[in-house]
Amino acid sequence: MNGDGERAGEMRIVDAEVERGPDEMIVADNVKKWFGGFQALDGISLTIRRGEVVVVMGPSGSGKSTLIRCFNRLERHDAGRIVIDGIELTDDIRNIERVRSEIGMVFQSFNLFPHLTVMDNIMLAPRNVRHWPKQRSEDKAKQLLERVGIPEQAKKYPAQLSGGPQQRVAIARALAMEPKIMLFDEPTSALDPEMIKEVLDVMEELARSEMTLIVVTHEVGFAKHVAHRVVFLDEGKLVEEAPPDTFFSNPQSERTKLFLSQILI
Amino acid sequence: MSRLPEDLERAPLVIAEDERPLEVAPAKEPTTPAEWVSRNLFSSRASGIVTVVVGVLLLYVGLRLLRWVFVSADWAVVKSHLRGYMIGRFPQAEIWRIWVAVYFLVALAGVSWGASGLRLTWSWGKAITRGLATLAALGALLYLIESTRIWLALLSLVALFAGAVAAGRTWRFVARRLVIGGWLLSFPVVILVLRGFGGVAPLEWGGLLLNALVAVVGIVLSFPLGILLALGRRSTFPAVRLLCVGIIEIVRGAPLYSWLLFGVFVLPFLLPPGLRLAEIIRVMIMFVLFSSAYVAEIVRGGLQGVHQGQYEAARALGLPTWRMMALVILPQALRNTIPAMISHFISLFKDTSLLAIVGFLDVLRIARIAPQARFSGSLRQTLLFAAFMFWVVSFSMSRWSQRLERRLGVGER
Repeated sequence: MNGDGERAGEMRIVDAEVERGPDEMIVADNVKKWFGGFQALDGISLTIRRGEVVVVMGPSGSGKSTLIRCFNRLERHDAGRIVIDGIELTDDIRNIERVRSEIGMVFQSFNLFPHLTVMDNIMLAPRNVRHWPKQRSEDKAKQLLERVGIPEQAKKYPAQLSGGPQQRVAIARALAMEPKIMLFDEPTSALDPEMIKEVLDVMEELARSEMTLIVVTHEVGFAKHVAHRVVFLDEGKLVEEAPPDTFFSNPQSERTKLFLSQILI
Repeated sequence: MSRLPEDLERAPLVIAEDERPLEVAPAKEPTTPAEWVSRNLFSSRASGIVTVVVGVLLLYVGLRLLRWVFVSADWAVVKSHLRGYMIGRFPQAEIWRIWVAVYFLVALAGVSWGASGLRLTWSWGKAITRGLATLAALGALLYLIESTRIWLALLSLVALFAGAVAAGRTWRFVARRLVIGGWLLSFPVVILVLRGFGGVAPLEWGGLLLNALVAVVGIVLSFPLGILLALGRRSTFPAVRLLCVGIIEIVRGAPLYSWLLFGVFVLPFLLPPGLRLAEIIRVMIMFVLFSSAYVAEIVRGGLQGVHQGQYEAARALGLPTWRMMALVILPQALRNTIPAMISHFISLFKDTSLLAIVGFLDVLRIARIAPQARFSGSLRQTLLFAAFMFWVVSFSMSRWSQRLERRLGVGER
């Protein structure tokens, strides 16, 4: 209750604003999701603040990907409520598209557009969603390619790049929309070992730039050094959340201990 | 010869270092023609027998055909009906309109070729094939065309094409923009030239002109319509889905011939009173509908080949559904469908010969009615020539599609 009363009348989506603090980028409240008879998310409540870097961990099938895919509505949650930067996700497609243009997403399998050059991959959304003029999109794309460290690949097609550079292009493509939040869904799981670091470096640089990041990953090093908070899911439930040093050195639940003992060999 | 284990089923998965066939020579490219023949045609007794039997058959049929074509057959009938083959009963006084259209299209094709930066690749094999093809075409034309005016026109077309290619190369950037607009405008322009300003009604068009017109209309209109049907089939709205599936399945459920009869005899009664469409238009509508059902299924196949991740990436960027389809999904889906699509369009072009049995004067009909009076008994010649015309166009489309596939192969996954 942070005195948001005057904003409550602004639009009908703002019901959730009442509970929203000034810096709350993502508020998930008792979110549930079923795939047929399988319950993927079982009452997840989570609040993520502006500029926070949250790493989501958990065994496979624990619902971690599903959770972040609910944040940009690639999956529809069946119960509970998700509010992104003051916009509640409902079936209203306008809200969904607004939220999506504020959230960048990076996938495990890159999902670059194979028929477009690297440049065109990055420029596609600014041109067609933000409706920027060509010059502005081009400048932005070049600047982002510099930032992710592969300006020389601009004219190539995705298939001509190996995994690491492809994932860096995917990050640049997501950043081109100037999002407030970035979601990473196991961004290094499909990479050859020698290319993991170059992608993690880019992500670390992003984290320092005060962007809100939610990262599903098994990279313990990244979680330890970069994350503000680690969230542990199991069987669709939020089992534990803690700052990384506490999480890795002093886990509370048995399930977390077991998981850590398996990945920290 | 090969040092690979003969029975791969039983072969060990790991081959000991010393047994590893390090120097399995890649099958040596045959060097002399004799070696090629012995390897490809007589590699075993069975293959030798097949070679001899098939060879003798081919030789027998081929020689008889050649002798008939070049010695016994009298092609005067084709010669005197050449104009009919090309344009049907298009009035003599209006033929200049066709030439104007042809000049326009040839110039456009030349500029496009030049602007595309494509050059013919060259090798001895290709040079020989091309040389022979040119000679054959030249020979046929020399025999068939006697009018000096037409020869001059053809020569000027060749010159125009060469000039247009050169111009396209020189002013490439301007030309690139121009040709896209040019092709978009080409269809209305051609129709206007042939039809407008007291021109010739489509009823009087005939021959290859008619076949080509119906095929082009069918292709150009059924392509977008088919895409819409394919997208509609995947729509989340049940009503749209049902409608699209219904159209596709009903249209595909009957032969094209019966749909043409439907267009000629039934459609007029279904149209609202007061709306009267010319027969040729009704027939075209049926061609478009029929073709779009097939296009829709081809596109559906292409859409299934696009990975789910592409939809997710596009959605995650906030692209609205239609833009996602137009910019991300369809370009990939359609590229995968080029072979099937061109194959369908070739078959649609050949299906325009059905125009003959609903009463139009198309190439096949000309071939059927030409052997009359003075030319009686020459049906074989006229039919063979019609078949040859269909083949030339179909083969060109097929070659063009291969070229297109190679060009669009850039950035393959």
